Amino acid sequence: MFLKFLNLQWKTLTRSPMWHKNLVLNLVIGFFLLLFGVYLLMLGLLLSKILEELVPDRNQFDLFNGIIIYYFLADLVIRFMMQSLPRLTIESYLHLPIRKNRIIFYMMGRSIADVFNLIPLLVFIPVTFTIVHPQGGGSMALTWLASLCMLILANNFLVTYLKRQLGSKPWVVGITGLILIFFVVLDKLNVISISAISASGFRYLSHHPVFLLIPLIWMTGTFALHYKFLKIHLFPDEMQVKKAFEVDQKEGNRYLRSLGLTGTIFSLELKLYWRNKRTRTMIYMLPIFLLYGFLFYPQAQYMKQDGFLMFIGIFITGGMMINYANYAFGYESSFFDALLTKNLDFFKYIRMKFYIAILICTVCFILTIPYAFFGLKILLINAAMYLYNIGILSFILLFFATFNKNRIDLKRGGAFNYQGIGAMNWLSIIPAFFLPIIIMIPFNIAGHPYYGMALTGFVGILGLFFSKSLLKIIFRHFQKRKYIMAVNFREK
Amino acid sequence: MIQISNLTKVYGTQTVLDIPDLKINKCESFGLVGNNGAGKTTMFRCILDLIRPNTGAVLSRGNDVAKKENWKIYTGSYLDDGFLIDFLTPEEYFQFVADVYGLSDGDLKAFYHDFEDFFNNEILGKKKLIRDLSAGNRQKIGISAALMPKPEILVLDEPFNSLDPTTQIRLKNLLKTLKKETEITMLISSHDLNHITEVCDRIVVLHEGKIVHDLVTNQDTLKILEDYFSVEK
Repeated sequence: MFLKFLNLQWKTLTRSPMWHKNLVLNLVIGFFLLLFGVYLLMLGLLLSKILEELVPDRNQFDLFNGIIIYYFLADLVIRFMMQSLPRLTIESYLHLPIRKNRIIFYMMGRSIADVFNLIPLLVFIPVTFTIVHPQGGGSMALTWLASLCMLILANNFLVTYLKRQLGSKPWVVGITGLILIFFVVLDKLNVISISAISASGFRYLSHHPVFLLIPLIWMTGTFALHYKFLKIHLFPDEMQVKKAFEVDQKEGNRYLRSLGLTGTIFSLELKLYWRNKRTRTMIYMLPIFLLYGFLFYPQAQYMKQDGFLMFIGIFITGGMMINYANYAFGYESSFFDALLTKNLDFFKYIRMKFYIAILICTVCFILTIPYAFFGLKILLINAAMYLYNIGILSFILLFFATFNKNRIDLKRGGAFNYQGIGAMNWLSIIPAFFLPIIIMIPFNIAGHPYYGMALTGFVGILGLFFSKSLLKIIFRHFQKRKYIMAVNFREK
Repeated sequence: MIQISNLTKVYGTQTVLDIPDLKINKCESFGLVGNNGAGKTTMFRCILDLIRPNTGAVLSRGNDVAKKENWKIYTGSYLDDGFLIDFLTPEEYFQFVADVYGLSDGDLKAFYHDFEDFFNNEILGKKKLIRDLSAGNRQKIGISAALMPKPEILVLDEPFNSLDPTTQIRLKNLLKTLKKETEITMLISSHDLNHITEVCDRIVVLHEGKIVHDLVTNQDTLKILEDYFSVEK
């Protein structure tokens, strides 16, 4: 039975239209995952050497054991945000003569094969050989590793349980969070030392295999907790994590409506972004786009490289806009037919998208003006890139957005969600990111970088000047593409 | 009102629609029946310019729907869920439709009044998004939104599906009243032969994309249709 479920899951994956359409992208993602795995494995193998370099006089086993507890705490938080629940559509099985226990065991067993459970092993297993084994031999190393595996699984069951509770009993999640914070605060205030407890605890445990019972009980406990929950709640409507969105009807969009069609489309766009999970994730990412300048600007070696600064400038002032424009039509895939059959002026509709792109860029630019603190040059570069973004990049993105013809389910979250991302689409946009740098190069060689920036900004203004003609080109192109887009958007 | 000439749609090697000539007159109530895959939805999509046909054209009031877009002003349509904007509340969606068609707040109020019975207190004032409503209620929203701008042409694909019996009867009465009191041209597809013969004056049977029957409805029509669908294969 277990194998049958597994087989069905495999088919769900490989037969989904996403898999076929995005084979290239899947391969690329797979490659990076592999690369990441190799890095972790190397980290695990070399950790002993690294620790020796950094803190030569400490016992490596105790050191690692002291860190490990923080890892497990952080792991809980990261998993809670990133790990997805196994998507077994139980509706398809509940009515068949399959015992509920089997379905539950499968669901829980399936959650073990999650990447979050495998990643730590890439570090822990090599460490078992390089650090633990030399300390006390084979049986001790094995005991140690076994305890860690149990803790990984306990985290897994606990997080999947908490995630399922999020919908019906959010306070369970809140209390767990508070307990975690409580311990971290105690640790910070030096009332207790979590790392010291962890270090001596793991040391004691690895020498006395009987105490494996403690992680075992903890793991079984979390398993039982989750099992019990599933046993009671194995009904499709209770398994859903999502909550119905409640709407306050008195939302004041009178002003927007007074703007006519433009306002109507704009208010639709606002609701689209705010009421869907995937787009909301995008909004939450805004701080990342705005703040990552802090990674580079404080460092002198980057400040000398104008080309690099321009590249950062494009993404700081335009990162959000890039995301918006690229999916300008894709996010509307679920109601594209509605738009096509309504009495909607599609030129105005596309122009509205362009205005919103400008608006997003402008907000990002204004919010990042304080970067001028790191030098006036940054402000100038970002201003030039801002003009380029709104005057050139926005048009290019909107034009190529019509090639983005994968249906996107907005109800699914955004983290690790590659649905609707066409590899070819991104490849075709990449040259647009390098254009400003190409403009810059000759000026830089001639020693007049500021003229180069001015020219880039000017090109952007030129684009704005011809915006009507450029939008018409996009509009005519859209009219040709709309059938292909509509057909693909309909495919679920 | 609608003139279809030489219309074909081919997917791969399969011809899913092949209509050499079809005229739908003003004020006609045109019913389309056929088994799954007969090409009903494809035909409606061609009429609504949602699919590019391989050959031929659909003329609406003499204009090719693929070239001029003014048909949208006088055509109301609801084919499936894709015609709804599911993250809006019903009120917001109706407001959106009203705005797009340039209707006033008064028009919208009149619309709510007209459809009060049809909604049966299940649609308005619920603070729920359309995506959280049942299939039947979504269907009601789609059909009523298609009728809101008082269109001259109405295109509905299987409108009776997933409606409760009360609403099915209400919809039938609504369509019959429209037929009697306005100059609306209706294109309706259905799997329910009873409903369709009751509502439509003319019934066309599609099979594998081709028109196999074109009947004017009278007391024998239901019998003919039932015979056709029971002997087939």
